[in-house]
Formats: sequence, C-alpha cells, structure tokens
Amino acid sequence: MIFTIFLKELKDTLRDKRTVRMMIIIPTLVLPLILSVVTKISHNFEKEAAEKPLKIGVVSNQNELLQELKNVPKTLGAKSFVYYKDSSSLKTDLKNDSIQIGFYVPTNVAELKEKMQPISITVFHNGADLGMQERADSYLDYIHDKWQKERYKKLKINESTINPIAKKYTNVASNQEMIGKIIGGFLPYLIISFAFMGCMFPAIDLFTGERERGTIETLLTVPVARWKILFGKMGVVVFSGLMASTFSFIGIYLSIEVFDFVENPEILAAIKDILSPAFIAMLYLLLLPLVVFFAGLMIVITVRAKTFKEAQSLLSPLNILVVLPAMSGLFPGFELNEMTAMIPIVNIVLATKELMAGTLEWHLVALSFGIMIVLAIGAVFLSYKKFESESTLIA
Amino acid sequence: MIAVKNLTKSFDLSKKQQKEFGTKEKTVTAVDNVSFACQPGRVHALLGANGAGKTTTLRMLSTIFKPTSGLITINGIDVTKQPNEARKQIGFLTGSAGLYARLTPNELIDYFGKLYGVEKTTIEQRKNQLFDLLDMHEFKDKRIGKLSTGMKQKVSICRTMIHDPQVVIFDEPTSGLDVITAENIIHLIQNCKNEGKTVIFSSHIMGEVDLLCDDITIIHKGKVLFNDTMEAFRNQMVAPNLTAEFIRIVQQEKNN
Repeated sequence: MIFTIFLKELKDTLRDKRTVRMMIIIPTLVLPLILSVVTKISHNFEKEAAEKPLKIGVVSNQNELLQELKNVPKTLGAKSFVYYKDSSSLKTDLKNDSIQIGFYVPTNVAELKEKMQPISITVFHNGADLGMQERADSYLDYIHDKWQKERYKKLKINESTINPIAKKYTNVASNQEMIGKIIGGFLPYLIISFAFMGCMFPAIDLFTGERERGTIETLLTVPVARWKILFGKMGVVVFSGLMASTFSFIGIYLSIEVFDFVENPEILAAIKDILSPAFIAMLYLLLLPLVVFFAGLMIVITVRAKTFKEAQSLLSPLNILVVLPAMSGLFPGFELNEMTAMIPIVNIVLATKELMAGTLEWHLVALSFGIMIVLAIGAVFLSYKKFESESTLIA
Repeated sequence: MIAVKNLTKSFDLSKKQQKEFGTKEKTVTAVDNVSFACQPGRVHALLGANGAGKTTTLRMLSTIFKPTSGLITINGIDVTKQPNEARKQIGFLTGSAGLYARLTPNELIDYFGKLYGVEKTTIEQRKNQLFDLLDMHEFKDKRIGKLSTGMKQKVSICRTMIHDPQVVIFDEPTSGLDVITAENIIHLIQNCKNEGKTVIFSSHIMGEVDLLCDDITIIHKGKVLFNDTMEAFRNQMVAPNLTAEFIRIVQQEKNN
C-alpha cells in the first residue's frame, strides 16, 4: 500500500510545474548557466584588460628610468604615457580615470643609479580600480630585476652568493587531494542546497496542499494505516530531494563536459577520476539520512501549516539553517574531526569534502553517518506523531 | 447499520484557542453523550446549527477522529478497535472535500479503489458502471483541475462508491453546489437507500431532509435535542413547517 501511495504521489508531484522546476530544471541548468556566464565575463574582462592600453601618468624629466618604462615588453600589457609637471594634476586625472597609474620619478635618477643608491619611485593608483597596483608592480619589477643584474655584474658578485636561501617547492599532494580540499566544499554545498529545495515543494504540496485542498479528510477514511500514508508521501519527498541533488550533479557534469569550464587537462582528468561510480555511491549513502532528516522536519512543519504561503514562510528560516552549515565546506582549514562529525549537515559536508580529496577517516565518516541516522529517525518519528495528531491534520 | 452510544468528543484548547473562544477552559466538548442508530435501507438526518457538533460526530463515524468516550459500531465493527475494518464499510462524502486536480478521474478512482483493497478487475467493473450511471466517459481522462464543479462532484461520488460501501456518510454534500449538481447527490442518496445501504446525512437544507430522510437526530451544542423517525418529528411539530420547527426546538433549548 505504501508503494501505491508513493506512485500516486510521485505522478501527482511530477505533474506539478513548480516541483519539476525545482527538482529538475533549475538544478540541471543553474550551474552550467552561472559558470558559462561567469567564465565568459571573466575571460572577456581579462582579454579586455590585457588588450586595452594602459594610460600611465608620469611626473619625470627625460631619464633612463622613463626610457626603461617605455621599453617594458608588450607581454606585460600595452601602455601609453601622459606627462605631468606635478603630482596634483596627475592625481586629479587618476581620480577621473583619465589615467590608470601614475609614477613620480625623481629627477636625479642617473646620479642615484651611478652611485648605486636606491631610487625611490612613488606609484599613484586608484584602489577601487582593481588590478592596477599589480600592473604597476609588474613594470617596476621588470626594471628592478634588470638593473639589479647590472649592479651584480658591475660589483662582480655572483647572484647565488647574495641569496642565502634558494627556495624550491615540491608539492606532495595529489591533484585529487588539492581539488578536494580547495574546491571540494562547493560540491556538497550545491547538492545539499538543491536536496533541501527539492524536498521543499513536494513536502508543502503533499501535506499542506492536501489540507488546503480538502483532500486529507477523504484520504484518512481509507482502510490504510496512517503511518503507511505518511511513508508513501515521505518517500516522494525524499525521492524529490535526491533527484534534485542528482540533477545538480548532472549540471556539474554538463559544466565540465559541455561548457569546458575546466581548461587544465590534468585537473579535468583528476575531477573525472573523483567522480567515479564508487564516489557517487558513497555520496548517496551520506546524503540519504540527511534528505530523510530534511523530509521529516519539513513534514512536521508543513503538516501544521494551513496554507501554501504559511508553509513557505515557516520553511524559510529552516532554509537558512540548512544553507549556512552547508557552506562550512567552503571555509579553508575547516575539517572533519570528532567535534565537527557531531554537527548535523556540517558533518556530511565535510565528509563529502574528505571523500573528494581521498583523505577520508572511516571512523569519522561512521560517526557522521550514525549521527545523521539518529537524527533522521528522530525527524521521522516527530513527523509520525504530528501526522497522527487529529488537531494538526484537521483545521 | 450504525450504532452510536454515549458518544463524547473533547478537544484540548491551546492558549491561542482559549483567547479565540473567550474561555479559560482547557478543553471544549464538541459532542456530549450522543446516542442514536441508523438502520439499513433508511436515510438518517443529522441536523444542527453551525458548531452544533454534526461534523465532529460524522468525523468520528468515519474514523477521522477518535471518540473521547462512548461506542460507535458500523455493521457490528467497533470503529475504535478495528478502524481499518470499519473504513472498508464506509463511503464518506462532504461538500467541502477536494480532489487531486492533477489526476484524471480514471486515475483517481483507480487509486482509491486500490486503497480500499478492491481487486483490479472489480475496480474496472465498478468504475465502468459508475461512469455509465453518472455519464462520465467524456471527461474521464481529463485532468480534474480542468473540470466543472458538476463534473468534479460526479468524480467525488464515484470515489465514494468505488468500493461499494454498505454505510454512506454525507456531510453537507450539497453545500455550495448549483441545483443541477445537487440533484446528482440527491439521486445518489436515493439510490443508496434503495440498495439497502445505511445512509447518514447532515444538511442545512430542510427541503432535502424532508425529501430524503426517514429518521432524524437534532443536536445542539453537542447534545441530542431530538432523536426519532421523521414521521414522529412531523407529528410533534408545533411550528407550521420543518424549518420553523427546527428553529423552535433549537431556540427552546437556548432559552432553557
């Protein structure tokens, strides 16, 4: 009988445009759309920034440094120069965005260079114009390196004797671990958020909607135990949550495969390795008690609500309570341990992150899973008590 | 047959409800020691003003509510002890009941047939009989949400009768319906009576009561004011018609 109710509710739910939107269309398309738009905008922005000539204001006499500035290779960005007599008019133009960087070069450059003394250059930039300071640095670093080498040569100093430490980095982390730790928080955030949203509309429709439409009375007169009716309906809520997660997962796959979001072939190969059938199976195992927990809580709320609007307003705070811990994986250094494994939602997010990175500690996963199972059973029990209650079911 | 003995139903009041009802009592008694019996092949009217306890009584008969005390038996089955067995005997139709708008009548009737444990072949048979009787074939595969009120009411009738219940409970079934649609309900009640089913019927429309009912129970503030046959009711009438007499009895109780 539970299956009969499940099938009917599923058919009913899949005919609801709102639910289909939240369960299939948005999770599948939102990520590819966001990523393609963001990637396109950032590529255009980078291209434009690289191609657009930078107007550099200079307060300087004709000297060697100015010449070197003009000779900075085009690979560091195209540029043109505007000359000023003093820094005040330069600053005004910088504020007006007529120029993007300003250099104040001392008049005695030749003398300082000859004496091998430091040449102090003031760089004017607009802090709100992001990236300009770095571009100014790249020009000056180019000249700095060139002149430093000249000085070493002049002083007959071997460069290696001046630098007591030569740094050499060897990364022992695998690509999988790096991907898992750096961007691994994004995946659970996405799938948990969509799992919650996927559960929300069916829960409202199958419980509050039943009450609002006046169909609950007739349903309660059929010779089927109430827990069976509840489980049939809850099955659809859980199924919808899992489906929304699945479609968000498909969205991620589409982003990678169709929209070429990941350009680096090594990283792409590592991501494809991570998204193995074993990983997906493990992910669903972790997700299942969490989605049942969501469904149980939502039923407790939606079974009490008299109207669709009331249910939505009651579920909104719960949404915030879910999204915030779901974001925990995005914080660097926040890892699964004995304490975080006790925090619902956070534990699943961090376990998924560790799973992606391949650095899973099984006792912590078991603890997280156990906690979520207990909470899921608690939420189901609460929803059963509410669904059994005469006063909450009938207005 | 329906037998109701000393039936009482009390509800706990929340603080919010206490404020709404303007009372300091923690419980409210909606039905108070009510007894009556409905016989097969007869239509029993349950009358009362708004808030008299009619719907609560009918919800207890249909097993939606559990009685606080007292006994209800449906064809000898105690509804509190064996609710599922009792439910198999009951068809329940209210004027306010909704339908699943995204299903078709065909799908909805199949669903309720399965929930009542009716065999697949029997569902098909009864569904076709009911679709013929109610002239529903034309719209049986259209979504219920797109049907007219009259069509929807036919679907509700079909849903109520798919398991061929021996006891049929009607809670203000014609409330808010147009004359033609209400007529379908009147015919259904008459058919049920002719087939020997036990029918209990609540309504505010005294014309329907006069036309259909064999027995009558009037309740007010949860208590029975009158319980006998329609014939006995007419014989004791002081007022010129049924409506006036009903008002007179309720008013008399209020004055007491």
